[in-house]
Amino acid sequence: MSTEPTQSFLGNDRTLRRVLLFFALILAVLVFVVVVSLRNLNRSIATSDWVNHTHALLTELDALQPTLEAAEGALSKYLLTSDARDHAAYQEKFAELGERVDVTTALVAAGAPQEKEAFALITELLAGRAELAGRIATARKADDPAVLQQLLAADAASNDHRELARHLEKFRNSQTDLLSARDRASFLQAQTTRWTVLGGLGLDFLLLCGAAWLIRDDLAARRVASRLLQQSNAELEDKVRLRTAELTAANAQLTAQNLEERWAKQAVEHQNRYNLLIIDSISDAVFVVTKLMNVSRLNPAAVHLTGYEPVDLIDKPLSRTLQPATGAAGAAQPAFDPLTRTLAEGHELRDRPAIVTTKGGQTVTVRLNVYPLRDRDKVVGGVVVLQVIPPAIP
Amino acid sequence: MSDTRPPFLPTHSMPTPGSTRKHILAIDDELPILELLKEYLEAQGYRVSTASTAHEAKRMVETEAPQLIITDLQLEETDGLHLIEQLRVLLPKTPVILLTGVMFDTRVVEENLKWKVSGYVSKTAPLQTLLQEIRRFISS
Repeated sequence: MSTEPTQSFLGNDRTLRRVLLFFALILAVLVFVVVVSLRNLNRSIATSDWVNHTHALLTELDALQPTLEAAEGALSKYLLTSDARDHAAYQEKFAELGERVDVTTALVAAGAPQEKEAFALITELLAGRAELAGRIATARKADDPAVLQQLLAADAASNDHRELARHLEKFRNSQTDLLSARDRASFLQAQTTRWTVLGGLGLDFLLLCGAAWLIRDDLAARRVASRLLQQSNAELEDKVRLRTAELTAANAQLTAQNLEERWAKQAVEHQNRYNLLIIDSISDAVFVVTKLMNVSRLNPAAVHLTGYEPVDLIDKPLSRTLQPATGAAGAAQPAFDPLTRTLAEGHELRDRPAIVTTKGGQTVTVRLNVYPLRDRDKVVGGVVVLQVIPPAIP
Repeated sequence: MSDTRPPFLPTHSMPTPGSTRKHILAIDDELPILELLKEYLEAQGYRVSTASTAHEAKRMVETEAPQLIITDLQLEETDGLHLIEQLRVLLPKTPVILLTGVMFDTRVVEENLKWKVSGYVSKTAPLQTLLQEIRRFISS
C-alpha cells in the first residue's frame, strides 16, 4: 500500500527511471573501483612486506661470508698469538656468525621449500667451517702441532669456501630474481590500480554527463510540454468561455421563449375568458349554434329562460326548446325551418316572434334574432339572441 | 402617435434610490400576468414593482416614482385610463403603456388615447413587442 505511489511515480516517469539507472551504474562503478583498489592495496602491502623481507634476507646473506672470513681471520690470529683475548675474539666472531645464520634461517623459514633446501646446504657448509675452526682452536689450545698441522692441511685442501660462495651466489641470484618478479608484479598492480581508478572515474564522469544530458533533455521536454499545456489550457478556456457564452445565450433565449409561451398561453386564456365574459354578461338569452342548428354554447340568461342546464342542450338541436311562431293558433308550420335557412343563406334574421318551450313544459313568447358567424367569409354557425316579450298590460 | 405625443414623452431622468436599474411599475389585477411581467422584465435588466389594485399603485408611486408604468385597462376598483389620469397628477412626465386584452384599433388609440397613454400593447402580442415598446421610452 505504501509503495504504490512510489511505483506509480517511477512507472510514469521514464526519465527518472533512466537517471536512477545512471546513478546506480555510477554507484556500481564506484564500488567496483573501491573493491579493486582495496584488493590491490592489500596486495601492494603484502608485496612490500615481502620485498622488505627479501632485502633483509639478502643483507644477511651478503654478511654471511664476510662474517665467516672475519671469524676465520680471528682464528688465524689466535693460532699465531695463542692469546686468550684472541681466542675470545675468535669465539665471538663465530658466535656472531651463528646469530646471522639463525636470523637468515628464520627469514628463509617463511619462504618456499626450495629456498629452505638451498639454504640448508649453506648452513651445513657454515656449520662444517665452524666445527673445523673449533677443532683447530682446540688443537692449538692443546698445543698439539701434529693434529693442528693435519687439520690446517685438510682445510687448505678443502673446497668449502668456493662451494659456500657458489651456493650463496646461487641463493642470492634466486632471491634477486624473485625480487625482480615481485617488483614487476607490484608495478603491474600499481598500474592496474591507477587505471582502475582513472577508468572508474572516467566512466563515472561519462555516466554523470549522460545523466545531466538526460535531465537537461527532460527539463527541455517538460518546458515544451508545459508551454503546450498552457496553450492548450488557454485554448480550452477560450472554448469553454465561448461555449459558456453560447449556452448562456441559448439559455436566455430558451427562458425568453418559455416566458413568451407562458405569456401567449396566458393571453389566450385571458382573451377566451374575456370573450366568454361578454357573452355571459348579456341579459338576453344567447345561443351559439352550429350551421346545423345544434347548440354549441348558451349563456346563463338562456339557462334561466329555458330551465335547461347546458349539458341538456349542448350538441342538441335548438328546436328542442325554440320554435318559430306560426302566427294564428292552428296555423300550419312553415315548409322549412327559417333559422336553418337564415344560416344557409348567410343573412341575419331580426326581431321575429318565436316560442320557447321550457324544461317544465311552459311556453314563453320571445323575439328572435339570428346572426350568422362568419369566418373568412364562410358561415360556420350562428348566434341566436332571444328577448323575452313582457306580457301585455291588460 | 409620435407627432402628437403629450408632455410625458420618453424620459431617462428620475434616478431610482438604491439601484441603477430602471424602475417599472406594472399594474394588473391578474397575478399570473404580473408574475410573468416581473420575471421577463427583470431578466431584461429592469427593476419591476407590481400592484394589483389602483390603491396599491398610487401608494407605490408615492413611495418611489417609477420611470415607466404598465397598466391594464380593466381593474377591480376602477379602469386603467382613470387610474392613469390620477397618476398623471403625481408623475406628469412618466411614460405609460396600456397593456390590455381589450382589442383596440390602432386608429382608436392614436386618436382617442394619445393624451393619456404613451403606448399601447395588446396582451395577445408577444412580450418582445412589449419590450420594444418599453425600450422606446427607457433603456434597461
